Amino acid sequence: MPTLIGQPTPRIDGRAKVTGRASYASDEPVANPAHAFLLTSFIARGRITGFDFAEAKAVPGVLDILTHESVGSEAKPPKQASGGPTTTTMEDDQVWHDGQIIGIVLADTYEAAREAGFRVRVHYAAETPAASFDAAGAERERRDDGEHQDYAIGDAEGALGAAEVTLQAAYATPTQHHNPIELFTTTCAWENGNLTIWEPSQFVYGLRANVAGQLGIPPERVRVISKFVGGAFGSKGGATARTAWIAVAARRLGRPVKLVATRDQGFTIATYRAETRHRIRLGATRDGRLTALVHEGTEVTSRPSRYNVSGNETTARLYACPNILTRVDIVHADRNTPGFMRAPPETPYMFALESAVDELAEKLRLDPIELRRRNDAKTDPVSGLPFAGRRLMACFDEGAARFGWADRNPRAGSMRDGEWLVGLGCASAVYETNIAACAARVSLRPNGTARVEVAGHDIGTGAYTVVAITAADRLGLDASVIDVAMGDTTLPAAPLAAGSSHTASLANAVAAACEMVRDRLARAATTRNAGPLAGRDPGTLRLVDSCLTAPDGVAEPLSDAVSRLSPGVVEAFAENIPDGAPPDAMGKLHAGTNPILRGYKRSDVAAYAFGAQFVEVRVHARTREIRVSRMLGAFAAGNIVNPIAAHSQYMGGMIWGLSAALLEKTELDDSAARYVNDNLSEYHIPVCADVRDVEVMMLPDDDDRANPLGIKGLGEIGIVGMNAAIANAVHHATGRRIRELPIRIEDLL
Amino acid sequence: MHTTMQTILRINGREARLDHDPRITLLDALRERLGLTGTKKGCDQGQCGACTVLIDGRRVLSCFSLVAAVEGEVTTIEGLSGEDGPLHPMQQAFLDRDAYQCGYCTPGQIMSAIACVTEGHAGSPDEIREYMSGNLCRCAAYPKIVEAVQQAAPHMRGETA
Ligand code: FES
Ligand code: FES
Repeated sequence: MPTLIGQPTPRIDGRAKVTGRASYASDEPVANPAHAFLLTSFIARGRITGFDFAEAKAVPGVLDILTHESVGSEAKPPKQASGGPTTTTMEDDQVWHDGQIIGIVLADTYEAAREAGFRVRVHYAAETPAASFDAAGAERERRDDGEHQDYAIGDAEGALGAAEVTLQAAYATPTQHHNPIELFTTTCAWENGNLTIWEPSQFVYGLRANVAGQLGIPPERVRVISKFVGGAFGSKGGATARTAWIAVAARRLGRPVKLVATRDQGFTIATYRAETRHRIRLGATRDGRLTALVHEGTEVTSRPSRYNVSGNETTARLYACPNILTRVDIVHADRNTPGFMRAPPETPYMFALESAVDELAEKLRLDPIELRRRNDAKTDPVSGLPFAGRRLMACFDEGAARFGWADRNPRAGSMRDGEWLVGLGCASAVYETNIAACAARVSLRPNGTARVEVAGHDIGTGAYTVVAITAADRLGLDASVIDVAMGDTTLPAAPLAAGSSHTASLANAVAAACEMVRDRLARAATTRNAGPLAGRDPGTLRLVDSCLTAPDGVAEPLSDAVSRLSPGVVEAFAENIPDGAPPDAMGKLHAGTNPILRGYKRSDVAAYAFGAQFVEVRVHARTREIRVSRMLGAFAAGNIVNPIAAHSQYMGGMIWGLSAALLEKTELDDSAARYVNDNLSEYHIPVCADVRDVEVMMLPDDDDRANPLGIKGLGEIGIVGMNAAIANAVHHATGRRIRELPIRIEDLL
Repeated sequence: MHTTMQTILRINGREARLDHDPRITLLDALRERLGLTGTKKGCDQGQCGACTVLIDGRRVLSCFSLVAAVEGEVTTIEGLSGEDGPLHPMQQAFLDRDAYQCGYCTPGQIMSAIACVTEGHAGSPDEIREYMSGNLCRCAAYPKIVEAVQQAAPHMRGETA
């Protein structure tokens, strides 16, 4: 049967995006809004002792200034998806971090609100803050087993002592901020006790439940609308404090309130990727078989939160090794609470592991791909379960052939092109296959068009198109006649768009609803006496090319099949609860908790996507300027729904890796515990001229043990191997092993 | 100091008479006063290019332009094509090449890309990369943006020849 799943399909929302008609949250028209400007703290630790509003209130157009003194009891802090409690904002006088929301200026215009914001005087009782790992006053603790776990398999310390070859090294990754180009915006309006929130969100049901809980109102009274999201990368997944306060402001004014937070405020009112440190110890035989793997990580978080990413839950599972030990410590500092950012666990932890594997290969005088081949795991080394497809070495082999790895002279510093030292590096990529419970409604009309409703999120991933393709495929229609509604809590509940799970979650739910439609049409067509399909087995009928069709080709036009059941539309609502997910998953979803089934927490298989990433860098012999001239990623990430958008996602992930390895770092002022480069010219991300050849290979990987449609997800895996691949290539070019990111000219002088 | 002033803007072939706060930027006027929300705010500091519009054909950062100081005909993304009509060749090229993901930087990229071609800076991929480097794309659609400019450039030159 021909299938649309896997056919290149231009995005159905493409026209809206290129004409400026795609409606992002702050684009939505609201009548006569007041404008908000956030007041944020200038200290990182201490208390607010008073405000002086005289000058600010004198600015014409100012309506009100809200602080903990006026509204502190009107909202509670949002619940975090991970890590327990978080910092507070306007609940009381406490300051937990620099840039914390401490007040909101409301005015008729943005210009007036901003001016008044700069005229507010705040008095503090400041204490000395601890900025990061080594600061006096930072508190270290071992992370408990709970959300995340440490592993102790075999006797890693003993095996290290007995190993023929050992490698020990320390690695570090910096603070990074997502910096989507869309700012953190919130618009709130009340009508008859019902609240509407327009806010870019990766989880509208989560935001709804959270804000309802914060304000103490039933979730049914809150509607969240987020039709287009201008980039998220994890930053718009959890509820942040701003939303409930803007709702409080709108209620007090009796007027819609619109907030467009500034770029620098975005660094402190939402989350970020915290800095990490790693110690890796590897033991191996002389012929390159791993005998011991120890990966210890340390991560920064805020004072009250225990948020951490524990990426050694992944690094422990990549290679066959009988003795494994992992541990994570967290360090509490006077900082905002970190959160998910593209491949949260893998990006830092795989940099460490895949750098160490490259170092071990060098020590063993083995090709780094060959070392990985000798340690390719047949089953999950932690659980012993089979993998739901593991094409890691196929990715290396096909990628290496295409990239020209065989031409690489293994000796570091040996390849040169004029003034440029050339280095080739590679690394493995891996990302867990996740899926969450999701509902969807499908309506099929007699004229052969359909509508799909699901409260999913298109954060640039092409989710609108994924939904259209899935429905078109199952209903026997063209994707262009499917109308898709998403990003609104009035639609059937959908989970958090994160963890590379959204395509699998949405597509499997939409397919389930389409199957109900097909089943109803088929039953009616076969049980009634009239019609060409009367008496057939309904299970064998398919919807193909706008017809209900039997295996022998006898077919009935869709319009006849639909009209038999209804003069209007045939509609089905399905809830898809993945096998292995808790039975109350839909209830959790409505309560705002993401009911995700993680690929490494399943009892049947270990579900992962795999990839091999290759990089060519050029380091200028004299200036040490570093350029990435070529990148290639070969991925086996399950069935691909839309190769066009998938290609863009992989490519974007790989460029994110380039960015993380060579450019991105949020610099901290250690004495003030303050982010210094909190703007887009000093927080470096790649521009067009930084990016050269990017090649993506998608290997077949069809394994329905992952989920019924065999979709593994690919939004994150593109970044995972890039940091190490670039560091390994820089080493190959120069002989210099850089173990702390980002790698900069000064590291190579 | 809370004076209001009046400016007549020419935008997408129409005139808009605006009573406004003297501090308002062209970007905020487009978005908050004129309902032209296709032009995006990504930084408000002249650093990202999301707010790029054309004034008399030249690319201008609207977050860095005060309404009171605008002279000339402003073209925004909404001015390039009608509701259902054919797309401008640059819009079509972005669509054909999937030269976006979230789409938030896209209106600014398209306006910049049009100017990149009319300035005569679309001669080679390297030149396009250089002259499109004032528009950040966090989704990192850059290689496809370069392809889109290459696709649209000959069509645009054909139109004007
Ligand atoms: S919003 Fe104008 S350059 Fe960023
Ligand atoms: S498409 Fe998302 S920022 Fe460019």
